[in-house]
Amino acid sequence: MSLSHAEWVDALRDGDLLGVRCPDCGTVYGTPFAVCNECGSRDVEMTELPTAGEVYTETTVEVSPVGFDAPYQVGIVQLDGARVTGRLTGEVGIGDRVVLDGVLEANDEVAPVFTAE
Amino acid sequence: MTRASVVGADMTTFGVHERTLTELFATAALGAYDDAGVGPDDIDALYFGNAMGGQTENDTHLAPAVAAQIGLAGIPCQRFEDACATSSNAFKNAVEAVEAGVHDTVLVGGVERCTPETGLGTGEMTRIFASASDRYYEQPTGLTFPGVFALHTKRHMHEYGTTEEQLAHVAVKNHANGTRNPNAHFGKEITVEDVLDSPVVADPFRLMDCCPFSDGASAVVVTSDENADSFDNPVDVGGVGHATDIVPLSAKPVVQATQAARDAASQAYEQAETSADEMDFAEVHDCFTGAEVMASEAIGFFEDGEGGPAAAEGRTAIDGDRPINPSGGLKAKGHPIGATGTGQIVELTEHLRNNAGERQIDGAERAVAHNLGGDAATTVVTVMEARE
Ligand SMILES: [Zn+2]
Repeated sequence: MSLSHAEWVDALRDGDLLGVRCPDCGTVYGTPFAVCNECGSRDVEMTELPTAGEVYTETTVEVSPVGFDAPYQVGIVQLDGARVTGRLTGEVGIGDRVVLDGVLEANDEVAPVFTAE
Repeated sequence: MTRASVVGADMTTFGVHERTLTELFATAALGAYDDAGVGPDDIDALYFGNAMGGQTENDTHLAPAVAAQIGLAGIPCQRFEDACATSSNAFKNAVEAVEAGVHDTVLVGGVERCTPETGLGTGEMTRIFASASDRYYEQPTGLTFPGVFALHTKRHMHEYGTTEEQLAHVAVKNHANGTRNPNAHFGKEITVEDVLDSPVVADPFRLMDCCPFSDGASAVVVTSDENADSFDNPVDVGGVGHATDIVPLSAKPVVQATQAARDAASQAYEQAETSADEMDFAEVHDCFTGAEVMASEAIGFFEDGEGGPAAAEGRTAIDGDRPINPSGGLKAKGHPIGATGTGQIVELTEHLRNNAGERQIDGAERAVAHNLGGDAATTVVTVMEARE
């Protein structure tokens, strides 16, 4: 595996966003994949993603699962060629610029937090 | 081109049930036996769907358990799990088995309980539903299932100008249809204002944009094209398409396209040698109002971006030019996860037999069912035709 979940999480806690890039077709993913879904290449490589980007889509969750306290905003952020799902702060909408601003630690798990740039 | 035929169909009411999973499934299964005029000796295999019984009721290995209740102990029985597309996946596999001659006649169906009858409240059930979103790259954010479809729908609104009022019209139409369906969870008309005044669950969805938690079961008897002639009321399966998309949502190139649905619909129409234009109506997976708008475009009923205006203009009503969800859909009929897929097949069967009562689509000869699972990463699309 070019990038494990544990490595993705460790990097996130250090303020870095990791993804994988396919050297054969150039596709970049914001989360690990063992094989490129575009071209089938197994040569995908770990790559560092930019930590600033643009909101691709978002929602504010008002009814939460157990273990979370609503309301909060969740969105998908476009970081050059890749996208990552995370928490959003700063009342941002689609197209707004955001930057990685720490992590959410909840239920022994971690998620990126982006805020208005 | 007929791949297989449905010769018996039944469902319980969708709503709140005290009966156990096995009792609920037996009710639908015995109804399907009676409708087909068969008994256990005529059934060669069970293809059974249940999505969440392990999590909600500590109940697994359900295929032999439900089979034993309906006299099927001894034959091959298998359980399918594919989130909300669970029983349409079972149906696809049953059609393939019958078509290939592996079995002559099979029982297909599903069951689920999602209401507080399970002993679980909204927060706990919301957590269990969220288990169908990505375990490592979505669940840690607190994303819910309404949230997943909100992410799809907000992007659709951004690209095409789809409005909250247009979404509300989907709910209003499906509730109106539900009043004509004695099996529906909800049987009361609502207004656009009712929807827009209801509390937000995950914007743009308000409570009345969301399908309910339901209990229920559905079952159909599937046999080969050749065998079907010996039954009273066969309805033919022309095509079943099944496609998947990349997970998580963040990796999907165009989230609002629901690409798996487009791929599955193309397969189903091609197998049946037909097209979206030939369909007299559709049952689609409207877990949320925005999901119906995206589905109506993905199955080819409307151009991309036209699904919202079409709903607001009444084109998808029972008396519209492209009727969608005459049953009331998941929104009003209800959504007992594992029963939903074959529930759609029951609805198609009733209309194509001209037997759907007050909600009958006049003269319906061909129809399409669209059942998605998870973040739309699974979709099964089925085309059925009245037998000539
Ligand atoms: Zn590639």
